[in-house]
Amino acid sequence: MWLVLLELRAPLITLILAYAVSCFGLVLIPGETDTGELYHLSFLQAFYILSYTATTIGFGEIPYAFTDTQRLWMLVVIYSTVIAWLYAIGSVLTVFTDPEFRKLRRHQKTVSRVRSNRSPFWIVCGYGGAGSQLVRFLDTTAMRCVVIDAEKARVDSGRLTSLSYELDVLLGDATDPNMLVDAGVQHPLCQGVAVLTDSDQVNLTVATNAKILAPRVPVFARSASDSNTRNLRSFDTDVVVDVERTAARAIGQLIRRPKAYALYHELVDPDLNRIESLVIPDSGHWIVCASGRFAQLVIDVLRREEIAFVLVNTHQPDPASNIDWVEGLGTEASTLRKARISEASGIIAATTHDGDNLSILLTAKTENSHLVTVARRNRPASEPVFRHGGFSIVLREGRMLAQEMFARIQSPLLHQFLVQLDLMPEALVSGLIERLNRRLPRLDVELDHHVVELTESGAPAVVEMLDGNVAPRVGDLLVDPGIGHESLPAICLLLVRFNGDLVPFPGENLQLSYGDALLMWGEQGIKSRMDWLLGRHDVFLDVLEARSARAV
Amino acid sequence: MNTQRVWFAFFIVLALTMNFSFFVGEIDNPDHHHPYEFFFALIVSLIATVLKIGDRSHVGAVLLATSLVADVQLIIGAVIWGYAAQNGTAIEPSVMASVVSLAGGAMVANIISVVLLLAETIQIKR
Repeated sequence: MWLVLLELRAPLITLILAYAVSCFGLVLIPGETDTGELYHLSFLQAFYILSYTATTIGFGEIPYAFTDTQRLWMLVVIYSTVIAWLYAIGSVLTVFTDPEFRKLRRHQKTVSRVRSNRSPFWIVCGYGGAGSQLVRFLDTTAMRCVVIDAEKARVDSGRLTSLSYELDVLLGDATDPNMLVDAGVQHPLCQGVAVLTDSDQVNLTVATNAKILAPRVPVFARSASDSNTRNLRSFDTDVVVDVERTAARAIGQLIRRPKAYALYHELVDPDLNRIESLVIPDSGHWIVCASGRFAQLVIDVLRREEIAFVLVNTHQPDPASNIDWVEGLGTEASTLRKARISEASGIIAATTHDGDNLSILLTAKTENSHLVTVARRNRPASEPVFRHGGFSIVLREGRMLAQEMFARIQSPLLHQFLVQLDLMPEALVSGLIERLNRRLPRLDVELDHHVVELTESGAPAVVEMLDGNVAPRVGDLLVDPGIGHESLPAICLLLVRFNGDLVPFPGENLQLSYGDALLMWGEQGIKSRMDWLLGRHDVFLDVLEARSARAV
Repeated sequence: MNTQRVWFAFFIVLALTMNFSFFVGEIDNPDHHHPYEFFFALIVSLIATVLKIGDRSHVGAVLLATSLVADVQLIIGAVIWGYAAQNGTAIEPSVMASVVSLAGGAMVANIISVVLLLAETIQIKR
């Protein structure tokens, strides 16, 4: 605002001077009344005449018709004041229409909104596929975001997204420390910084800046190379997600343990609320069409999992590594036939070009319609074709990145469970899914998870009972508070004791103690019913008595 | 020497002196207080205000505030005078007294302004 006034200094002074001279002249020059007497205009009258003349309204000559001397002076008044007005108005318009000025104003408005923010928020640098996804995911848990991006088009799309709140977007270079400060990194309610740009260099710089500016704020960073990952870890970046590594690991998990893959994705993806497990044939090899670093990562994973594969690549891999290799892109049928496609159980199209990936998979499907098809989607814009392509699995890097980070932001418990899940044998996972399915009213309900904490605020009724004669057990929480006390369609995936001990899949008879945190998984919407049970002393006591009576 | 600084100081001091020349005299005697003096005091005060705009330092902010106070006092005085003197009637001594005392208030603000200007100037070590 001050900037405007500074620009307007010259026009304002011109305007004041023009008014002063005109006004004074009108007062000095004598006029004649109807009867021919001389009189002088008062300052009030002069200012009034001046005001309607300068603004081109023109009420006429009052209180008496002017003399020629007065008219002569009025000519000067008209031209000088009207021109002064135009000059002032023109200057105001110039300042306000200046694109730099508008950008600055928009920036200042956003900054002041961020400053007056009263609810916790995350800072997301880079509003591409991953960034927009993460913002949306966070919105499902009522967490706000402030976005920084250097690209105008992305910033505009950010301002237009439909979220439950108005997204604050700053246009500018995230590596500029001032930008981070403007985004509120030092705000007491800032929950963390997620750096998701495509450039390792930018991610590294932003992560260091954030660590120095606000050491208490956790930093989550994306990395596209091992050296960068090590570098980020070296200064305690809280979470580093290497999305290519994540995708490669997901492929290994999908082939060897499809149920674990399905459970993992149900839990980390807020949009996916079902267990969708694939049937993966045991026999047969996999065809990997990939290049560069991602090819190497996939090969490493497949070897570790002892999965037979053929690599389709334009470059020959190191002969010493003894890899089954076919030269080509994979988009032609002849290449795929050389890779023995008729005997294969699946194909992974993971080049960095979306068109190539689609072409590979369409060719492969005509050659062998029973193939499990895994597609890698690089650009968010290609989403419609991949969604309607009918592929078994689509790997979306931006989305995976957002999922990985969201799982950690949402609750540390969920992340602890996912680490456990990685080590679990497939039989245990399918047993777990079976256990939930037995409690569900129908198999097609939507699933969700939430965390229960046994503290005064999280579960007051349970905490009161902990010292009673009948100690509550895990099973007592999974009961519908309604008439009949039927079992809730949910199970407990993980219990973490106050001292940090983990109990995966606690049995229903495990005794609860103060400070326990439980990860519950079940039908969507059970949280409110469970909260009612845990919050009402009388209801919980009823349940306990009914259950102990039944047990006797 | 900076021309801008010269104009700046000129108008701030002129605002005070103009104000003073209107203010001196018997408080309720219209013969001692000419409307032209009042008019120029107001115009100079307005110009001084505009010149002070845009300085973001702390002293700059206080300078601007004092000027705005002087403007408000003088404008209220002008409105009262204009209203009391409508249709060419002679101004009552009581109205004259209130206009002059309002101008006196503006003068206090202008004095603060000049003091601040001097304080700032003395601080500059060269």
